[in-house]
Amino acid sequence: MDVFSNLAHGFSVALTPENLLWALLGVFLGTFVGVLPGIGPALTVALLLPVTYSLNPISAFIMFAGIYYGGMYGGSTTSILLNTPGESASIITALEGNLMAKRGRGGAALATAAIGSFVAGTIATVGLTVMAPIMVRVALKFGPAEYLALIVLAFTTITALLGSSLVRGFVSLFFGLAIGLVGIDGLTGQPRFTFGNQHLLNGIDVVTVAVGLFAVGETFWVAARMRHDPDNVVPVRGSLWMTKQEWARSWKPWLRGVLLGFPIGSLPAGGAEIPTFLSYSIEKRLTKHPEEFGKGAIEGVAGPEAANNASAAGVLVPLLTLGLPTSATAAIMLAAFQRYNLNPGPQLFDKSPDLVWGLIASLYIGNIMLLVLNLPLVGLWVRLLSIPRPLLYAGILVFAGLGTWSQSQSVTGLIVLYAIGVVGFLMRRFDIPVGPAVVAVILGPEAELQFRRALQISQGDYGTFITRPIAAAIFAFALLTFLGPRLWRLLRPSGGVEMPEMTT
Amino acid sequence: MANNAKIGNDTPEASEATKPSKIAEFAELIVAAVVVILGIVILIETQDIRVPRAYTKVGPRVIPEIIGWALIIVGAWYVIDILRTGGAAPSAESEDVDVTLPTDWWTVGILALALIIFVLLIERAGFVVASAVMFEVAAYAMGSRRYLRDIPIAIVLSLAVYLVFTRGLEVRLPAGWLAGVL
Repeated sequence: MDVFSNLAHGFSVALTPENLLWALLGVFLGTFVGVLPGIGPALTVALLLPVTYSLNPISAFIMFAGIYYGGMYGGSTTSILLNTPGESASIITALEGNLMAKRGRGGAALATAAIGSFVAGTIATVGLTVMAPIMVRVALKFGPAEYLALIVLAFTTITALLGSSLVRGFVSLFFGLAIGLVGIDGLTGQPRFTFGNQHLLNGIDVVTVAVGLFAVGETFWVAARMRHDPDNVVPVRGSLWMTKQEWARSWKPWLRGVLLGFPIGSLPAGGAEIPTFLSYSIEKRLTKHPEEFGKGAIEGVAGPEAANNASAAGVLVPLLTLGLPTSATAAIMLAAFQRYNLNPGPQLFDKSPDLVWGLIASLYIGNIMLLVLNLPLVGLWVRLLSIPRPLLYAGILVFAGLGTWSQSQSVTGLIVLYAIGVVGFLMRRFDIPVGPAVVAVILGPEAELQFRRALQISQGDYGTFITRPIAAAIFAFALLTFLGPRLWRLLRPSGGVEMPEMTT
Repeated sequence: MANNAKIGNDTPEASEATKPSKIAEFAELIVAAVVVILGIVILIETQDIRVPRAYTKVGPRVIPEIIGWALIIVGAWYVIDILRTGGAAPSAESEDVDVTLPTDWWTVGILALALIIFVLLIERAGFVVASAVMFEVAAYAMGSRRYLRDIPIAIVLSLAVYLVFTRGLEVRLPAGWLAGVL
């Protein structure tokens, strides 16, 4: 089998002592930063990006794989022990997990999250290994019109499915698209919206946007409305080992979580929120202990946490095979590829098999490392949770400034960073989702390129977008993602039918 | 729906207390207006983009024009949405935030000052000095009152970051006043 020889080759790249060390360092740093309150996976990846700058691409991405999975693990620890989810995909883990911790079963909650993440991450990585070559073959048939359609689909799903209000999603999306316009036009070499500033010729980097919106925006937001009651880190009481009964109640939710998380995550529409919400409502329905839900049910941690990690691996399918990021975290990973002049997509599998398969192999390795590292080090992670908040946020600002400076080498870059931070503050204040803006910054220029290429091929005939069947079908689907729920509601005025119920 | 409502609001009493006030609604209307203005600015600036002569294909102005118009439409839709619903409650997703509190502008102001200091100092005084001063001021803004404890932390962190990133990771950072020492 082709896949096996490729994967074996990947392992031969990833298993060199040097690369193992980078993977270990990535996993450790990813967990370390991911555990810190206020830092979700996207910001973890963005803040740790400068660490990889001096490495060769292969080692850099092996380390990156570790950071990515480590950041996910770290986030769940914070949710369980602090009840403060850093991102919407861990809301559910926080809900049941924190209640478990309060009942003295925090150890078991951490264990089921960690082992569930390992099981889900590993199965989903197998899925990625098998799916990626198939997707690559499909992607080779895609022309610019189909690519544009996929990007538009990613835009509409991210906009329509995140956040509470459609219009606010669109505000975020078009703000990101506007930011993406700044810089030299790729096809004609003309500067656009640079206001004569030479530092803006290269455009505004997505990492700057993500760090501005997540780190600086969050710091301002906390400054404006700081909680003054003391933190309540729930101490980890009880054994870290799950009882026999807890194992019995965990393994099925893990597997169901994978079945939800991986397929949904690997769609070009993607995202981790929907599978975790779905998993929670399914587990609630199937459990033999319904009375425990809302009081700390282990199924409510095991399922969503598995779904979350499986979708994290799923997101890599469109990212690696199509160059299509469907989450803020994936958008930053794409930026990392571009820094090395690598363009994810079918050609990457052809041109840099070492890198792609080394990266995939190190996902397996990283998962094992995390399992080994996470539970024994729980004491260290807990201590990180009690870092004084003022010092934590001051430190975040130091690293935000460092990251932007290393990227732009200019005061202009810093001013852009802080201006975007103010926007991030306003977005939190008015509940405008941040994700669409981040994805739009990096996919906007790509969409424009494909749009103009498609019209070049069709010699200016806009009909190309509807006469090519695959493109037309994807466009129709994109339209459906935000018209569908509204039509549904119009047709059934009696019930507000929401996602979780719809599929069960 | 029942599930979602429960998940989104782990502090049920917050939803009542955070109903947007008239002032908040007005502030959000300004944000919506800025979206419209951003669209207009993009349309105006688009006229300054040079289209190379004899360039017959879809030029560099087409997409900016689409985005400009889209921002105007979305901004107008946003205005209507605010007037109809009375505006949004603050995002409850963040950690360390109590959305029922009023905005503390004094703290926000000091924090902004910390960032301005960093921008002003970084090229002249160098990364270590700029970062240490920013850290100290930002920690103060965020509520730390143990200045003497914070000073060594600020210096050690900034110095360590500088050395690790410039020596070990080949990231370029300005040395500034400490150019001779480091």
